[in-house]
Amino acid sequence: MTVFKGFLIITKRNLLMVFMYLAIFLTIGILASGSDSNTSGTGFHAQALTVGVVDHDGGVLSKGLSTYLSQYHTIRQMPDDTAKLQDALFNRNVSYIVTIPKDFKVSCLREHQALPVSKIPGSTDGYYVDQQINTYLNQARVLTDSGYSDKEAAAYILKHADSSSHVTMLKSASSEKTPGYGYMYQYLPYVLISILCYVMGLIMIAFHQPDLQKRILCSAVSIRSQNLQLALGYLAVGCSVWLLTTWIPAFFFYRKAFFQSSKMPYYMLNSLTLLLVGLALSFLLGTFITKEDILTALVNVVTLGMSFLCGVFVPLDIMGKGVKTVAHFLPVYWYEISNNLLNNSAVLTQAQRQLLYRNYGIQLLFAAAIFCIALVVSKRARQTA
Amino acid sequence: MLVHIENLVKRYGDLLALDHLSLDIEEGEIFGLLGPNGSGKTTAINCLLALLKYDKGTITIFGKDMKPDSYDIKQDIGVVMQNVAVFEQMSVYENIDYFCGLYIRDKQKRRELVEEAIAFTGLSDFRKMRPKKLSGGLLRRLNIACGIVHKPRLIIMDEPTVAVDPQSRNKILEGILELNRQGSTIIYTSHYMEEVEQICTRIAIIDHGRVLASGTTEELKKMIKTGETITIEAVALTKNNLADIRSLSHVFDLSYQDQTMILRCSGAKHNLIRVLNYLQEQDIPFGRVFSELPTLNDVFLEITGKELRD
Repeated sequence: MTVFKGFLIITKRNLLMVFMYLAIFLTIGILASGSDSNTSGTGFHAQALTVGVVDHDGGVLSKGLSTYLSQYHTIRQMPDDTAKLQDALFNRNVSYIVTIPKDFKVSCLREHQALPVSKIPGSTDGYYVDQQINTYLNQARVLTDSGYSDKEAAAYILKHADSSSHVTMLKSASSEKTPGYGYMYQYLPYVLISILCYVMGLIMIAFHQPDLQKRILCSAVSIRSQNLQLALGYLAVGCSVWLLTTWIPAFFFYRKAFFQSSKMPYYMLNSLTLLLVGLALSFLLGTFITKEDILTALVNVVTLGMSFLCGVFVPLDIMGKGVKTVAHFLPVYWYEISNNLLNNSAVLTQAQRQLLYRNYGIQLLFAAAIFCIALVVSKRARQTA
Repeated sequence: MLVHIENLVKRYGDLLALDHLSLDIEEGEIFGLLGPNGSGKTTAINCLLALLKYDKGTITIFGKDMKPDSYDIKQDIGVVMQNVAVFEQMSVYENIDYFCGLYIRDKQKRRELVEEAIAFTGLSDFRKMRPKKLSGGLLRRLNIACGIVHKPRLIIMDEPTVAVDPQSRNKILEGILELNRQGSTIIYTSHYMEEVEQICTRIAIIDHGRVLASGTTEELKKMIKTGETITIEAVALTKNNLADIRSLSHVFDLSYQDQTMILRCSGAKHNLIRVLNYLQEQDIPFGRVFSELPTLNDVFLEITGKELRD
């Protein structure tokens, strides 16, 4: 395992650079997540209003309506005094007033007359109560028409009224908070690909020195074994960088939020496919670069260029159509749209999951294509030498 | 026979790099490969190490055919490249250990061999240093240490003393002789004929991909016409004087420039006395007089028609 050991020794010599990149990455990620401290939008609770009721009927069904509304709102019985009712509405003591007429059952249920109500002008809250009253009236109408007595109908409606709300947040609004680790994953392509290309590039430059290569080829270690050891080295370094850039920051900074998130495996899979893209790219760069200066310049051009075009630093939403079209031909674009999808979805639907798998597949295809190109370049280079 | 190369032909397109090259190297020899740039030395070595495919011929090392996958043969070969071939990121110790690890798996044995190689090349004080911080001479020594650390039977050294100061060069040459004494057979290529003359037991002169001559230094010197080169500082020699001297027996070449006459004579006794007698008879004043036996440079010049460093 000498070749593998050599691989690791050279990697060890470049650890300072790795930690430098990592420190910058973490600083940016934490600052970005800290700047967005809005906590709304991550949960849901039903809104309760203060509803005033003037009951002229006093029947079983009218009382049932008051009780029904009380399951959702705070009910206040009001005197039948227009001035007082207007004052209460004006002073926002109540948000909604419903006046139940004396012949409630006949006029509202049988003759479908509307219940007289008063709402705060321009307020949307009233529509909420309107819907609930309509629901009650519709149910009461159906039940009494079906032969239920008033008492039975009221009891039935109250029994089956659902006081708790089952909410599924399919998509959180863009103004709502992106989780902190979401930022970490957003900037990940830049740091992951930079570290991989730089470290692997340096190792490949070292191994590709013509005389050194000759010396190794003259040795008693077979070419197959050398290639296997190099591949193992690639994987070992790749996995270490992946752990350093994904798991460790997640563990130290976002432990609970991240590991309890149902989207965690999808984030991980996304970063894993990105890792393969990064490894293939670093292999490609390492096959034809022979000088460290050129490597540094090229790594910056490739990683920064791809990061800017694919929405690592600038959100994709504000990019022009042309830029987005170009970005389609870059693997990081598919990583970022997956990441955006994960950041903006509270719960993943089947369709969204399929979209994610498609994006992972595209990234894998990119990785395979880059790797094949690297193999061709490498073969050509060997033939030329 | 440790190494046997027979009728080796290698072409690069229209260029014939090796033209039916044949060589035999015995165990225990320090075999010198001499040739000007582009003569085919490096191509021959690359073919020998199975780094290059050749068009025709056979190569056997340790009695076995040498192929790219002849790892049992490679196990006993050490290579010292012309350029320093070490990892910049590794220390002296790590580099030697790395190259030793390509041959020796046993950790304990490897540790012993690395220590021996460090001591042998005098790098003990520099074991933790990176190659960047080493001088040219120390780098060359590290390069050699990496090639010989596994104690191979056959060591191939491609101009290992290029750009090395005289002191380091002497140490390296002493080291090569010591390796030979310890039992290694060495194939040595160099531009420095004095080095080859100093350490090689047998030499082959290569040009245009062919072996022009081979043998011990003495054998090679006997192959050429020049037996003695006489240099005399003499003033005002006339054309007649020069013609007379040229007609003396055993003189086959004469040049006269800047009042210095250089005579090449075939190997015979009393060449110098005959020339000096003539000058005295003609009352021609002369200054310093040198008489030299042929060097490898003369051999090379006469065989290839050009200086080695041309």
